[in-house]
Amino acid sequence: MAHRDALAALGRVEEFTLANGLKVRLARSAGVPTVSTYTFFRVGSRNERPGITGISHLFEHMMFNGAKRYGPGEFDRALEAAGGSSNAYTTNDLTVYYEDFVSDALERVFDLESDRMRSLAIGEKMLASERQVVIEERRVRVDNEIAGLLDEELSALVWKAHPYRWPVIGWQKDIENIKSSDCRDYFRTYYAPNNASLYVVGDFDPKAARALIRKYYGTIPRGPPAPAVLDAEPEQRGERRAQVRHPAQAPSLMIAYRAPPAKDAETLVLDVLQYVLSVGHSSRLMRELVYGKELAVSVSVDWSWRIDPGQLVVYLELKPSSKPAEVEAALYRELERVAAEGITEGELQKAKNNLRAHLLRELATHSGRANAFGTYEALLGSWREGLALPARYEAITREQVKAAAARTFSGDRRSVATLIPETAP
Amino acid sequence: MKLPARQRFTTSTGLEVIAARRGPLPLVSLRLVIRAGGAFDPPGRFGLADFTARLLRRGTKTRTAKEIDEAVEFVGGSLATAAYEDYLTVSVSAPSDYLAEMLEVMAQLVREPSFPKAEVASAKTRVLAQIANELDDPSSLAERAFVSAFWGAHPYGHELVGRARDVRRFTRADLVAFHRERVGPRVSTLVVVGDVEPRTVFAATERAFRGWKGGPATAPVVLPFGRPASEGQVVVVDKPEQTQTQVRIGARGVRRGHPDYFPIVAFNTALGGSFTSRLVREVRVKRGLSYGIGSHFDALASGGAYSVSTFTKTENTRKILDVALAELAKMRASGPTAAELATAKSYVNGLYPARVETNEGLSHALAELSVYQLAPDFIETFRERLGAVTRAEAAAAAAVRLEIDRPLIVLVGNAAQVKPLAKGLGTLTVKTVADLE
Repeated sequence: MAHRDALAALGRVEEFTLANGLKVRLARSAGVPTVSTYTFFRVGSRNERPGITGISHLFEHMMFNGAKRYGPGEFDRALEAAGGSSNAYTTNDLTVYYEDFVSDALERVFDLESDRMRSLAIGEKMLASERQVVIEERRVRVDNEIAGLLDEELSALVWKAHPYRWPVIGWQKDIENIKSSDCRDYFRTYYAPNNASLYVVGDFDPKAARALIRKYYGTIPRGPPAPAVLDAEPEQRGERRAQVRHPAQAPSLMIAYRAPPAKDAETLVLDVLQYVLSVGHSSRLMRELVYGKELAVSVSVDWSWRIDPGQLVVYLELKPSSKPAEVEAALYRELERVAAEGITEGELQKAKNNLRAHLLRELATHSGRANAFGTYEALLGSWREGLALPARYEAITREQVKAAAARTFSGDRRSVATLIPETAP
Repeated sequence: MKLPARQRFTTSTGLEVIAARRGPLPLVSLRLVIRAGGAFDPPGRFGLADFTARLLRRGTKTRTAKEIDEAVEFVGGSLATAAYEDYLTVSVSAPSDYLAEMLEVMAQLVREPSFPKAEVASAKTRVLAQIANELDDPSSLAERAFVSAFWGAHPYGHELVGRARDVRRFTRADLVAFHRERVGPRVSTLVVVGDVEPRTVFAATERAFRGWKGGPATAPVVLPFGRPASEGQVVVVDKPEQTQTQVRIGARGVRRGHPDYFPIVAFNTALGGSFTSRLVREVRVKRGLSYGIGSHFDALASGGAYSVSTFTKTENTRKILDVALAELAKMRASGPTAAELATAKSYVNGLYPARVETNEGLSHALAELSVYQLAPDFIETFRERLGAVTRAEAAAAAAVRLEIDRPLIVLVGNAAQVKPLAKGLGTLTVKTVADLE
């Protein structure tokens, strides 16, 4: 099979760990004359506490505001001038920084990234200005956006004790009150090389890269081990419901089911289930709820792997005339049908074919591959797991999918947030 | 920059085919472009091209919608149909083993769509609901308001998805007529990029499209665009619950393939096209007024729009406008500095290869070369041509192309609070969300 050879070729990765604990993965490949670097820090909103929610994300912004060698604004200036661009993202579990650039800029990128890992400057003035930027980001993504509002309401409903309870961007008041001393503590603890992994993928010489990485990162001191996160989440003993009233043309529904952590064997079975339910026009929920009964305008199932037990979320945008209760009932009938009767052999094969094709497409670019390797290593334990996925999906049976659906889609492990349209004030 | 070799071919009934082999991943991107976009929507039927694109996949003479979806998705492929201003696309991404099957599905979609009555009715409901949902999204509202104010009565002057009042009137006969009059081999181009031999592509395409006839004999032309009727207008869209204003500033841009393209890329990158651009620095980095701001030259076949997009909390609406307008004026007056120009070139050129790194990216770029009749070596020579732009050329282009004396300004937010903040910026009109439906 052609995809096996292609995957085997992608597995040629050089890996090593510096004395200070920084993990490094180098994957050379021809193709376009660019390189992508991804730096994964094992910190996200999961590592926060009430009072400083949103600090992981605010911190992500601060990482672009100057360090010892490259002062405020110089990170982006130096990188763009060298032919590259940079960005970052924060999730519940991880904070990830990346650069895509022309191959010649490799040394410059190591210089820039290691500078801020070694000696980030956290000034009051910068923090005050960046805080305003993040508050505007919150306004656009949460306060003035329906899916954002629902998502925030839903997480607070699903999680009682676990830090997954608060939004990654943080509560407004917390963002307003985070202090530069909080940021400095955060930096010392979570941005040490022993809490990070560096992925380099693209058109470069691994031998030269290895020497450069030693030169730039080798002398950054190791930090204290990051404190463990306690998962104190109690068992859910019945359905939970919330409503959000907001001016809107149509109602919408966001429904979460409790689900296992990424490393659990059932995670990949839920991938198959997610595909059967909502990926593609021929998926069950698209066919039944969007095209068949015409109850919803769109339906998606988000099964985002997480370090601790997570959530599988169904999001439905309804028609202005739809009754949320009817749509809910129709959705639950479909989910219960999968739990009771399982899926067909054709559906199983289709899901496997799509999971494989999507994985290959994800791995097709330098940037996609570096990000995928980092994600698989952080959530599954090794970047190699990513390349083994097609074979592991291939082994999944209909019985496993049925059993996973039965375990997951229980009304007692469900949380429902409904957007109720109201007329503008 | 080296791209995979391209080979060309024309089928026996005039469909242009471009194929490029690229491995090693066993995948392929197929993209059929038909020069029949939203600019060709008949009057009173705005959104018909988009509606046709949606309905092509909802049934053919021999397959139901379900069977079409199943045929593509079962093997791990995905099918998309879409309308843009100048063209429609039918595209498939799939494992390369299934090239012939995928071509056969694509051919059926464009040759013999049946537009079943029930599918037409149900698609209308979905489009109307989609429009309703878009009206809840402040950023979509701003785009809708911008497009209609900026282009006015020109064929580009409506959202591709159309207006609710027109969509309600769509009939099966409209679809049949649009398909008959607009869709055919001589106004289409098929681009195939991936792990397949060009000669295999040509043979399979000829098989799948043999005997395809109909549609116009030559590519239709969109009326040239003069000046925006909206110059000096301030359009406020009232969304009283908003705590943030969505802001757009617009002025006349240039058509695709304009000789000033490279100097424009050079100064616009410095102005608002990158993270170190003047707009980002002044608005986000220095003042914390917004999470994001950018400026774009949107270039279409017969004209273009220049626009700045951003958002800020309601109280800062005027401040962000003043800061942005001052930056536009400064750039027009003296162009980018030598250092800015050098950075713009390195930045854009460094990232350019990534645009064609995926099969989908390259098939898109190749399809646009064909639709917009750009030089065949446009992609390969892009970096060299941008690299050759001098500071004087960039400054001259900024002076002429930033036509911002009387810009169009669109503000979506709480009108009662926003209106006084827009004083003196132009002739003010307030629209309701319903006006944009």
